[in-house]
Amino acid sequence: LKDRLSAALKASGADYTEIRLERTWSSAVSFRGRRLESATVSEDQGGFVRALNRGCGWGIASFTSLDELPRMVARAHELSRAVRLDEPIRLADTVPQVADAALDLDGDVRGIPLGEKKRLLEAYNGAMLAVSDRVVDTQTNYQDEVSEVWYVNSEGAALYQLRPEVVVSGSAIARRDGTIEKGLESIGQRRGWRSVHDFTERFRAAAQRAVDLLDAPRVKGGTYPVILDNELAGVFVHEAFGHLSEADFVYENPQARAMMTLGRGFGKPVLNVGDNGAAPGLRGTLPYDDEGTPTQDTPLIREGVLVGRLHSRETAAKLGERPTGNARALSFRHAPIVRMTNTYIAPGPKTVSFQDLIADVKLGVYACGAFGGQTMLENFSFTAAWGHMIRDGQVAELVKDVVLAGNLFQTLDRIDHIAGDFTWNEMGGGCGKGGQFPLPVTEGAPHVRVEEALVGGDVPGGAGAGGA
Amino acid sequence: VIDRVLDAARRRVDGADALWRREERTSIALESGRLKAAGVALEAGVNLRVLAGGRTGVAGTTAASPDVAALIDRARASAELGEPLELPLPAPSAVPLPSVLTWFDSAAQASLDALIAMGRGLAERLAREGCQVNVSLEREVGETIVGNSAGARGSYRTTAVAVSAEVIRIAGDDVLMVYDGVVSAALPDAAELDALARSIEDRLAPALTVVAPPEGALPVVFTPAGLAAVLLPLEQALSGKTVLQGSSPLAERVGAEVFDRRLSITDDPLAPGRPYSRPLDDECVPSRAAGLVTGGVVRQFVYDLETAVRAHTDSTGHGRRGVFGKPRIRYTNLVVGPRPDAVGAQHAAPLRLGGGLIDGITDGLLVDDLIGVGQGNVIGGAFSHPVGLAYRVRRGAITGRVKDAAVAGNAYELLKKIGDFGSDGRWLGSRWSPSLLLEGVSVARR
Repeated sequence: LKDRLSAALKASGADYTEIRLERTWSSAVSFRGRRLESATVSEDQGGFVRALNRGCGWGIASFTSLDELPRMVARAHELSRAVRLDEPIRLADTVPQVADAALDLDGDVRGIPLGEKKRLLEAYNGAMLAVSDRVVDTQTNYQDEVSEVWYVNSEGAALYQLRPEVVVSGSAIARRDGTIEKGLESIGQRRGWRSVHDFTERFRAAAQRAVDLLDAPRVKGGTYPVILDNELAGVFVHEAFGHLSEADFVYENPQARAMMTLGRGFGKPVLNVGDNGAAPGLRGTLPYDDEGTPTQDTPLIREGVLVGRLHSRETAAKLGERPTGNARALSFRHAPIVRMTNTYIAPGPKTVSFQDLIADVKLGVYACGAFGGQTMLENFSFTAAWGHMIRDGQVAELVKDVVLAGNLFQTLDRIDHIAGDFTWNEMGGGCGKGGQFPLPVTEGAPHVRVEEALVGGDVPGGAGAGGA
Repeated sequence: VIDRVLDAARRRVDGADALWRREERTSIALESGRLKAAGVALEAGVNLRVLAGGRTGVAGTTAASPDVAALIDRARASAELGEPLELPLPAPSAVPLPSVLTWFDSAAQASLDALIAMGRGLAERLAREGCQVNVSLEREVGETIVGNSAGARGSYRTTAVAVSAEVIRIAGDDVLMVYDGVVSAALPDAAELDALARSIEDRLAPALTVVAPPEGALPVVFTPAGLAAVLLPLEQALSGKTVLQGSSPLAERVGAEVFDRRLSITDDPLAPGRPYSRPLDDECVPSRAAGLVTGGVVRQFVYDLETAVRAHTDSTGHGRRGVFGKPRIRYTNLVVGPRPDAVGAQHAAPLRLGGGLIDGITDGLLVDDLIGVGQGNVIGGAFSHPVGLAYRVRRGAITGRVKDAAVAGNAYELLKKIGDFGSDGRWLGSRWSPSLLLEGVSVARR
């Protein structure tokens, strides 16, 4: 295969050519309620070629039939020449890497019978259903893959990477008459079969939460001090800040560049944020990105000051900065674009605990877990999986429909306390951008306090809750 | 390929159905008005489902010349773990499959240069000082063949062209983004591109002024794009899968008047020239329109073969499958509105923002985009979202864009009494709808 790749590179007429081939073995099992939905094994393969010529733009070709490789190299060159550009695309210099990098498979999923995977998921699914007869529906999924990726470019890079992935996730729907609630659990690892056992209690707890939420009141809409738990704080920093730190958002837009000038204040001095694709064993971890650049720990905010951003070779060259190893592609079907890996809020002093964060809160909201989050540039919305009111420095009653909404800059400025209890999230799912979803990423954070944030929920006078 | 797969399967299992699909996509992207990339993507694959020992299993492959025996082995292994299911494979249709326009030479034969010229024209039209304009175009040519061991067969070719444009304006820490897109089986003509540009211009101009949001229970106009949050719970509840699982609030409401009498929802796989139209579904069930809600009354749900068997009903022809995985229920062209017969008239004529619904509003909102739609507990009908793009309406006119506001309500409550339907019905991706005026939507501000 390596010979075929170098022959194809040599035959390219373009000034710069890169080729990525992938072969992915995967299996998947899913349950809906008591019923097995499907159990399958799949093999997917294909290639991606990108070519660049002086005075021209990118020419891109992706394909499932590897016999097409020589033709697709020629096609990418042709397409590049059809895109004429006044201002040339430049790529930041990197040292071409030559390496074989196999991540730890931790129990190669390819050797485990599908029936065993079914039994594992059945146990987790059963634990959710056993919680109560109010649990009317579940949806659980097991998914694993081992991806082999070959990457070569005309500057001499030649990489082989073996990337494992395993995700177990489940949601439970609890219902009483017109009231319907949801509980969610998800475990995602860039590892193998050995890393997804012993989670029965977490799946059971998620279903119990759905049942408990049936009796919980909706949070009363308004402005509160809000404490984010580790999971939600991580999702928050990914969604609300991380996407703005992706350099492809600013590199072609002078106004965006002004907004994200390095050195500008971002939050109080307690805030430190970064992205670390080289952290061992996490979902967003990769030795090299999909342009062959080694990954690294990139500081983004240091003590409340913007100090860095995430780059591909193209965005780094344009901004006169260095590539950070953040050019990632979902698969051979896509071009690499600037993406996060493992994004984190660094812990505060070890001595600061969750209790310290809530001690002086008279009335506040403890927002836990994440159903999801979306950012539209400087505005964001996050739906916590559940919440508790905080009353007189104590965690009080369970509340539901905790939706946090706000402006990124204002909200980061209002983070006033960060605990020392850092953890990495180990969720499945992934990040979506430019039609590429779900890209494996993760986040990490300690408990974080926002002194004031808008919480959606029941608004007096509005058409409130109710069913059909 | 499909005959080879089905012939081999017939000898080794009790029944089988399969889908072969080939797609070729050509795309261009203009970033900040500059053409930066052009690409092609070629993809082909086979999906096989087998019936063996009273169970079903699936397998797929993207290999160019697939190892048929190995594919069947994998599908059989999948079936061994499956649930008991007597899947009735549709027999060959006694009447010809319905004819539906899914192929346009103009789209299939458009050259790369023609697509580039179209993208450049749109970017130039939208260019303005202090704004970043991004335009992308994608043309897809596809061919699908479906068949089963009972002898049913169907094949069709499709074209699809998607054009989208966005204008981003950043002033200090204020970020404004206005975007729109058209998707059609045909190559858009000058009038359609003009309508796309106008749609963006019409929403950009009043957005340049930022005004304070109102507060309280107010009349709110949801544009076809803004309606997503209100319609998503219904889309979930009208799926036979949700009904079968017992989580649809509409499950026991067939025949009941649940919504405003003027509300109808139809899924129409035979809508001419739409990219999701097809003469039969991915399980060989001939296409026909399904009236899900008519005159405010819930009539039926959408089903694929498996869900229909389990629910003791018939497939409505809504099975959709990819190369990997089993068929699932999916809508095709969802038509929402008072007069589904008016559908199809593309908005070549310029449309008024809000479709005439803001005229009678003393104080309220026009919502074009909400943030976080689909998060949270959708099926119950309750939603609460900050606005992505919304305008304040006072005394029948738009006064400017509002930020830092959130709207909340319950789709089922709000759709019981619809204030009015706008005159701006249009396709947005796979859904056709006009703007809707809904009363008593709760609006909160920071």
